[in-house]
Amino acid sequence: MIYKGIKIDNTFAEAFNMKASRIIVTADNSKWARNACNSFTGFATSVIACGIEAGIEMSLKKSETPDGRPGYSILLFSMSRSQLEKQLETRVGQCILTCPTTAIFSGMNGEDMIPLGKNLRYFGDGYQISKKINNRRFWRIPVMDGEFLCEELTARVPAIGGGNFLVLSSNRKSCLEACEVAVDAIKNLPNVITPFPGGVVRSGSKVGSKYKALIASTNDAFCPTLRSFTKSTLSENVNCVMEIVINGLTSEDISLATKKCIESISKSKIKKDILSISAGNYGGKLGQYQFHLRKIMK
Amino acid sequence: MTHITIKLKKKLRYRLDMTFISDISNYKSIKKFLSKKIYYGNKEVNISSLFNVTGTDTSKIVIKSSMNYMDNIGIGLRNIEMIVYGDVGYSFGSNMQSGKLVLYGNCLDYAASGMKGGMIFIHGNTGKYLGGKPNSSNEGILDGFIYIKGNVGQNSIQRMRRGNVIINGNLGDYACEEMISGSIIVMGRVGNSFAEGIKRGTIITKEKKITKDYRLASKAEYNFIDFFVNKISKILKLNLFSRKTIISRYHGHKNNDNLSEIFLFKS
Repeated sequence: MIYKGIKIDNTFAEAFNMKASRIIVTADNSKWARNACNSFTGFATSVIACGIEAGIEMSLKKSETPDGRPGYSILLFSMSRSQLEKQLETRVGQCILTCPTTAIFSGMNGEDMIPLGKNLRYFGDGYQISKKINNRRFWRIPVMDGEFLCEELTARVPAIGGGNFLVLSSNRKSCLEACEVAVDAIKNLPNVITPFPGGVVRSGSKVGSKYKALIASTNDAFCPTLRSFTKSTLSENVNCVMEIVINGLTSEDISLATKKCIESISKSKIKKDILSISAGNYGGKLGQYQFHLRKIMK
Repeated sequence: MTHITIKLKKKLRYRLDMTFISDISNYKSIKKFLSKKIYYGNKEVNISSLFNVTGTDTSKIVIKSSMNYMDNIGIGLRNIEMIVYGDVGYSFGSNMQSGKLVLYGNCLDYAASGMKGGMIFIHGNTGKYLGGKPNSSNEGILDGFIYIKGNVGQNSIQRMRRGNVIINGNLGDYACEEMISGSIIVMGRVGNSFAEGIKRGTIITKEKKITKDYRLASKAEYNFIDFFVNKISKILKLNLFSRKTIISRYHGHKNNDNLSEIFLFKS
């Protein structure tokens, strides 16, 4: 299939059931809200070693935040409830509470609630103040710049992690540029995040390794340097492959994000160097969701 | 389905207990509801003999031509939106559990007493003991949201446990007695003997005289104020005041170690 001059491989991305939550971080200005969010979402690229996958979903205007200050919404994804709870609490405590002028709120409603500032309040050492407004409880914790306001609970919802597509290019420069264009296209798209650095992954993995201790290793089928050694899926003129991993709240969100990304590449000047768009999967045996590229781009 | 509309057939001569309206969803049909016997004066009469009732949707009730002989409107209300046009009698919205109660008129004493949740909007004045302690409890407002557009009588908001009260007019004497917690905004003047025996809670007011017994805490930034004012303004769809007009915070009564706080704003 050729979509606006770009070849779309007949393959699919394989994705998994996850648990997600959304939080809203605000501060006196957008710079400090961003600092807090960058810190919070640092080392949150993959559940394999980070515990959660997290990223900034979108920036929020003053009129869109609960306290009328600029902010950002963050989405967090985890394989289990306990891991989500643990990581959320630790990261809020170390990255948001510590950041000047910030406040934190729940960004979604739901029946299944997990603690946000519930245990963090004890940092107030008895001087913390509870406020309940419209059945939602907030905690005011005195800190050195004034007070830290945080909501007690946030919701946890079912979500999907691991939606992806691969950009196959003749050279590294154009591959990276195409990925940047794609990530920019979904920068403010609701309900999705790209958890890896800058939204792009260069170390796609396969399940298993020749070393027993490792559960995942380099995806040799897509490594251009191994083309002559292994059973490569790359054609001879492919010299660089990069992946964009998309986590979303629903399969529709991931499909829409994938479509927008590929569309944006097809509209960019760099598309002449892009040889094809593919996707990463495990043969359809592991993931609960399959995102067929050609179906999405129809 | 259209909402229930209740209209008085003729002016009342005696006081009437309106508790039956809060139970309307327990009846299988409106016909059965209309045939219910209620006491009026020293007689027992059908509801239909005093009121015209139309509509079928019991989740929303509109009471037209209400008058201050009608007591206990919205008592123990649960998951119902009720809009009342006209004045009402005693105990308006007392022991309310959830839902929304809107009054376009004035009410007598004990409005919102023992309120446990939900929202009450009174676009008029209230009598004494707004949010007062009911006979069955030692605490007044346990939770919920109250907005009063007009003035509030004396002895109001006794032993408030939590919740939010916004008073656009003036507040009478002996208010907020033994307040345990919660938040109160008073846009108008505050009467004498305010917040005697207060333990905790937040009061936002422009009345400087009430701060004379409090310690000036600081002029630090309080994130809560941004949030609270923003949240209340959104609920009321009304810009109460800008956060820039909050000038200082007073913390704890001089004579004891309580954790109450007063935010003073400029009018």
